[in-house]
Amino acid sequence: MLIIALLKGVPARTTKVVTVGGVLRREEMDIVLNPHDSKAVEAADYVRRKVGGKTVALSMGPDIKLSPLIKPLYRAEVFGVDEAFILSDRKMAGADTLATSYAVSLGVRKVLERHVKPVEELISLISSGASADVVAARARELYGQNLLPNKVYSDLPSVKDSAIGMFAAGKASADQTTKLLEDTKSSFSQFIIVSGIKTTDGETGSVGPQVAESLSEMMGLDFPHLTYVEDFEIDPATLVVEAERKIGRLVQKVELHCPALLTISPEYAPRPPDPSNQVSVRGNNFRGKTLNPMKWTADELGADAARLGLAGSPTIVGPGVDIGKPPVQKIIGKSIVFTKRVEKFSSGGADFGPYDAGDLAQALPEAVFADLNAKGLLGVFTLQMFQRELFS
Amino acid sequence: MSTAPPQVAAAAPSVIETPEYRDVWVYLQRDGDSLSSDSRELIAAGRRVADKLKQQVVGVLLGSGLKGIAQEAVAYGADRVLLVDDPALADYFSLRIVDTLDYLVKKRKPYSFLFLSTEQGKDLAPRLAYREKTGLATDNIQLEVDDYFSPAAKATYKNLVIQIRPDFGTRVARIYTPRNRPQMSTVRPGNFEALPRDPDRKGIVENIALPVKGKTYSAVVKEIRELPKPGVNLKDAQVVISLGMGILRDKSGRVRDPREAYRLVLKLKAAIEQKEGLKVEVGASRALIYAELKELEGLISKDNQVGQTGTTVGAQVYIALGISGALQHRVGMQRCKRIVAVNLDPNAPIFQIAHYPIVEDVYDFLPEMIARIEGSKNEA
Repeated sequence: MLIIALLKGVPARTTKVVTVGGVLRREEMDIVLNPHDSKAVEAADYVRRKVGGKTVALSMGPDIKLSPLIKPLYRAEVFGVDEAFILSDRKMAGADTLATSYAVSLGVRKVLERHVKPVEELISLISSGASADVVAARARELYGQNLLPNKVYSDLPSVKDSAIGMFAAGKASADQTTKLLEDTKSSFSQFIIVSGIKTTDGETGSVGPQVAESLSEMMGLDFPHLTYVEDFEIDPATLVVEAERKIGRLVQKVELHCPALLTISPEYAPRPPDPSNQVSVRGNNFRGKTLNPMKWTADELGADAARLGLAGSPTIVGPGVDIGKPPVQKIIGKSIVFTKRVEKFSSGGADFGPYDAGDLAQALPEAVFADLNAKGLLGVFTLQMFQRELFS
Repeated sequence: MSTAPPQVAAAAPSVIETPEYRDVWVYLQRDGDSLSSDSRELIAAGRRVADKLKQQVVGVLLGSGLKGIAQEAVAYGADRVLLVDDPALADYFSLRIVDTLDYLVKKRKPYSFLFLSTEQGKDLAPRLAYREKTGLATDNIQLEVDDYFSPAAKATYKNLVIQIRPDFGTRVARIYTPRNRPQMSTVRPGNFEALPRDPDRKGIVENIALPVKGKTYSAVVKEIRELPKPGVNLKDAQVVISLGMGILRDKSGRVRDPREAYRLVLKLKAAIEQKEGLKVEVGASRALIYAELKELEGLISKDNQVGQTGTTVGAQVYIALGISGALQHRVGMQRCKRIVAVNLDPNAPIFQIAHYPIVEDVYDFLPEMIARIEGSKNEA
C-alpha cells in the first residue's frame, strides 16, 4: 500500500519574520517541520506496520530548506519514512491553500504513476512474449530502484513466492503472473494520505480537505476526507479504514474505503502493532528506503502554471496592520485622573472636557493641569477607584 | 507660454463589479433543537457585510428535523433561509453537505459565503472553496466592505469583502478575494455580537429538496454520539478570571501550589457574583493547560482555555493572572471591555493591551481584591 504523508516546513518563530507585501519569504527564515505533522508520520508508520507498503513524504517549498528537515525522518527509530519528494519551484511560491492543494495533489498523482508504471512495464514485457529471464532481469532492476513490492519481485530469502520469482521458476504461467501484476497495479490506487490537522504558520487547516477535493477532480471520483482523526484502524485485507474523530461536540465513527485522506489530531496515539499479519506485510513492503529526498518541478508535475503560486491563488494578502492602538492605561497609585466630573471649559483659547470622574488627566497642558490640581479636581488613581470602575 | 509637453490623458482605471453574484450567505449550525449561539453571531457578521453591500443575508441550513430553527435564523437577522431538511443529512457527513452546497452555490451565485471557524466550518468550507475554485480566508475576526485597487490588474474591484484575520506577530492581515466568487471566509466565534432576537421579524424560509438523492459514498458514518456540554461557559461570562504559568511561583521565586491560586480565584469569583451580580467563569492560558499539572487535574481543562485554539471571550472584565500574553492568547481576549493584567514581569506582552496593568504578585493581588469586594457593598 502506498502511504503518503503530507508535510510542511514552517517558520521556527512566529514573530519578526520577513514578509514582503504580505508574502512569506520562507527561503530567508529558519524553518522547522510543522509540529502537527509528526502525528501524520506516526499514523503513516502505523499503516505501514499493519498493512505493509511504502511511506512516502510529500512536501512543497524550497528543497534546500526542506531536505534537512525530512532526512532525520528516515532515521527515526519509532517511525520513519521510506521515500520523500519535495515539490520545489519558483512558480509555486506565494501559493494560497487553493494553489498549494493543486500542486500537492499533482505530487500525489505523480507518486502513484511512479509506482504504477513499472508494474505496467512488466505486464507489457510479459505480453510481448519476453523470456522469463528478461522479465526477471528487468524486475530486479526496478526492485533495486525501490519501485516494486516484495510480492512482485524480491531478493529477500524469506520471500519465495514473488510473482516474477514464480514466473521465472516456471511455477506460474504468463496469464497467472499478469493477473497478479494487474491486482498489484490496482491496489496502488487504494492509497492513503495522512496529514496534520493544520500548520502552525497559516493555521488554516484547509489543505487536507482541499487536496482530497483536488484528487476527486483529477481521479474522477469522490475522494473522501476525514478531519481531526483521533484513532483509526485499517483492515489489511480490504483496506477499509475505521476512524474515530471529534468534530465540535460530535464524536463520529466513520468507515472509509481507500483511497482516502485523514488529518490526524494531536490526540492520536498509534495502536500497538499487530504481529499476526507479517507475511502479507512483508509482501507489500518494498526493498528499503530511498535516502535522498527527490525534487519535482512544476514541469515535471505537468502543472498548469496559471494554477500555481501567486498566479493561481484567488486570495491576496494585504500588508499587515498592527492590532488596534495601545489602550488608555491606568496604573493604580500612579496615574492622575479626575476625581469628579468636570463640565466643558475653555482655557487659553482651547476647549476642554467634559471629563468624567476617572478620566485620565495626564495629556492636559501643564497650566490647565496645575489649575485643575489646585482646585482639588485631580488625584491619583486608587485601588478603590479601580474596583468601582471595573464592575460599573 | 509654457512649453510643457502635451499631456497624455491617463487611461481611466477600469472598475470591476460582479452584479451577477448577490447576497451574503451564512452556513448555520444547530445546537440540539435550536440555532447555535455561534450561528447567531455569524448572522450578525453577515448582516454587517450585507447592509454595507445593500444585499440580503441568506442563511443556509442543512440537516434533518430542523423544525423551527430556520425561523430562529430569521428572528436573529437573516432575510432568507435556504432550508434542506432531509433524513439523508441526519448524520454529519462532509461530502454530502459539500455536494448540496455546491449545487446551491452554482445555482444561486452568492457574492460572499461565510462559515464559522468551528471544526465543521473548517471541514466544509475548504472543500467547497476548492470545488468553486475560489479563495477562502479563515479565522477572520472582522469583516469590512471596501474597494480594492489591484496594482497587478490595474483595476479597482468595487465593494470587496475585506477579510481580517490574525497574522504573524502582533499584526492582523487583510485578505482580499478580488477575482473569484463567492468570496469565502470562516469567522471565528466570539468576535461579533449576535443581534437581539426579534420574533416578529419577517423573512422567507425556502424549502429545498435534497438535490442529489440516494447518492452513496466510499465513506459512511457508522456511529455518532454527542459529548455533554462543557461545564464552563466562557463565551457568555461577564467576567473571566484567567490563570497562567505565573501562578506557579511568587515574587520571591518560591514554588507555589497552583491550587492556592485556584482556590483564591474561586473566592474572588464568588465575591464578584454575590456582590456585583455578574456571571464569572475561570479561564486559563494554553501553556497552563498543556503543562498538565497534577495539582490542577479535574479543576481546569481544555474547556477553560482562552485563546486562538481555545475559546474567544468578549467579557466586560477580563482579569489575567500571571499570563504573559502570547499573541495566541491575546486574540482570544482582546475584545474584552476592561482588561486587568497582573504579572510580575513589567515587560510581559499582556501589558500592551491591558487597560489596568498591575505589576504585582498574584498571591498579593488576589487576597486584597477579595477582601475589598467582599467588604465593598457592606460599607455602603
